[in-house]
Amino acid sequence: MKDFFIVLKFELMGFLKNKSFIISTLIICLLLAVGLSIPTIKDTFFSSSSEDKSILEDPADEAYGDGKYGYIVEDKDAVNIEDIKTNFFGGQLVEADTIEELEKKVKSGDFKAGFRIQSPVKYEYIVENNEMMDFNEGAFQDALVKAYRIKEFGNRGIGYDEVEKLINPSIESQTKILGKDSAKNYLYTYVLVFGLYFVIILYGQLIATSVASEKSNRAMEVLVTSTKTTNLIFGKVLGGALAGIIQFGLVMLTGGIAYKLNAAAWNNKLDFIFKIPGSVLLTFSIFGILGYLFYSFIFGALGALVSRTEDISASATPVTIVFVIVFMISMMGMQNTESVVLKVASFIPLSSFMAMFVRVSMGSVSTFEILVSLGILALSTGLIGLLASKIYRMGTLMYGNPIKLKNAIKIMRSK
Amino acid sequence: MKLEVKDLYKSFSGKEVLHGISFNVESGKALGLLGRNGAGKTTTIRIIMNLFEANKGEILLDGKKFNPREHQIGYLPEERGLYPKKKVIDQLVYLGQLRGLTSKQAKENTLYWLKRLGVEEYKDKKLETLSKGNQQKVQLAETFLCNPEIIILDEPFSGLDPVNSQILKDIINELIDNEKLLIFSSHQMNYIEEFCEEIALIDKGDVVLTGNLGDIKRQYGMNRLAISAVDLSINQLENIFNSELNNIVKIIEIRKNDLIVELLQGNSKNDLLKAIIDLDLDIEEFSIYKPSLADIFVQKVGEDQ
Repeated sequence: MKDFFIVLKFELMGFLKNKSFIISTLIICLLLAVGLSIPTIKDTFFSSSSEDKSILEDPADEAYGDGKYGYIVEDKDAVNIEDIKTNFFGGQLVEADTIEELEKKVKSGDFKAGFRIQSPVKYEYIVENNEMMDFNEGAFQDALVKAYRIKEFGNRGIGYDEVEKLINPSIESQTKILGKDSAKNYLYTYVLVFGLYFVIILYGQLIATSVASEKSNRAMEVLVTSTKTTNLIFGKVLGGALAGIIQFGLVMLTGGIAYKLNAAAWNNKLDFIFKIPGSVLLTFSIFGILGYLFYSFIFGALGALVSRTEDISASATPVTIVFVIVFMISMMGMQNTESVVLKVASFIPLSSFMAMFVRVSMGSVSTFEILVSLGILALSTGLIGLLASKIYRMGTLMYGNPIKLKNAIKIMRSK
Repeated sequence: MKLEVKDLYKSFSGKEVLHGISFNVESGKALGLLGRNGAGKTTTIRIIMNLFEANKGEILLDGKKFNPREHQIGYLPEERGLYPKKKVIDQLVYLGQLRGLTSKQAKENTLYWLKRLGVEEYKDKKLETLSKGNQQKVQLAETFLCNPEIIILDEPFSGLDPVNSQILKDIINELIDNEKLLIFSSHQMNYIEEFCEEIALIDKGDVVLTGNLGDIKRQYGMNRLAISAVDLSINQLENIFNSELNNIVKIIEIRKNDLIVELLQGNSKNDLLKAIIDLDLDIEEFSIYKPSLADIFVQKVGEDQ
């Protein structure tokens, strides 16, 4: 056991002292902290215009600017320009004398755009550059339609306000959620699942590389004669895993703290990412860490089967494909937590760590199911760890062509 | 302590490479494992170190089954290997700790051995930045740092210059004086001759010669004489021996400076001396032949080919 901790410490320090580890962690944390502080910085240094705040508070305002728009009316008798003006929310409508003046001012930028109103139901839109996200024309059309309706209903002796009340009754609604609010949980579940995916792929490769390089630089022969292989592989995998957890934890912590400090400036708008319930975090930690270890052991064993670090990516491909499929199932499961595929996946150790977490976070699962899945996962992680140490021991002095995982298990069975 | 290697067999993917290797070593003595490249020296050592499992045979220490992890062993593998990208001191302390030293002891021993081997100044350097010879010395420091009872060195002198070889020789002699049990393999006979009381000569997976080196030499020198004469070239001497003395001796080997001959049955040294005096040869050298290990090696391995 003592040896295990010695290996663990050595491997962990190997990661923690690694410059690229330190720098990448720092950069991610820094970006996160700075990014989350932007509204606060903005409020502190650019708070002179109170309008800024109103823009932030109501995103609708951002689309409906307050610029000037020009117009000319060709049929002044038929078109009720006042109704159009009051119902146009795109900005201020200013009359131009001639079509030439209108076009000139649009071109010079005095007007954001211009409208040549030919009849109550016909107009020409004059704009400098037609952009994808142009809401002006839509707003103008709405105004035109409304003015038309007011006029036509008036002609028939019906008050438009009354009609509007009939057509668009104001309906009050509330949602009472008895289970999970999947819509609300979606984003943080997404972030956590994606983070887990990323950490496993990244550190899995690193662990495999570290094992294979010990083999290729022949340090393994000295190591294997110094201590038990279980100490070596468990120490190595847990050391690497711990480094990943520390990095992931630091990033999450930085994000959490930075958001907490800046929550007021964000008007709590990012609560849906950062306000993760404790129970979800707990499930994520337990399942995530076990799943992470499960895959780390597999990657460690893969590293022992090749002789050169260059061969790892080829050897790891089948495992990576399985892992990506697991990720896809979990991602798709987030849309429908009751799907059979997700339910099955939440008990298979290869996928349960992610699938079960998605179900806990976004759907409803009985505690019994969670415990069963956790039991299966914990047991198989232990077994895969022992298997990995056997493979590691066997692969120690086998140089030459990479051994396939299938063959390795065959060789071990025949012994 | 007495280490007994008994009747080891080993096959790799169906091909048998060791066909019953046996030898013994005791504390305070060094055993030299000799053999040509690919003879099976390293495989034997790896079986002793429990890196490979033998198909048959056993290894006993004082009569009990030998488990390398229960003893402090200084093992220098043939394929040297440490972490190229880690600091010298970090990895040596780590390996020392793995072998049961406390972190303080490991550090002290590391510094002692690095100093002893003259590579102390590189302790904070990454291993890969050192020259090959210095890396080799770091590897040696790693081998000795846990005060091993048993020392197994696979080709320890390869890659060392004469000065460094001398440092290692001194260390090995000291280890032998300190009653350590030492096995070392080499194809460099002069080193084996220098340290090893016992040898085991392995050829193609078989022990073809084993025992005390002095006895072996005596046995190989028995009834053999080294002879040279003043004013006669070796070839002339050879001709005389072939024509005049072929009833007393036969020529075993023609060397640069002398002739090695073996007395035929029923003849003594004095018979030969008398015959030489009768021939009136001006003898320069007339001595009992003491073969070098290299001679024995070439003869023994050559015979089998």
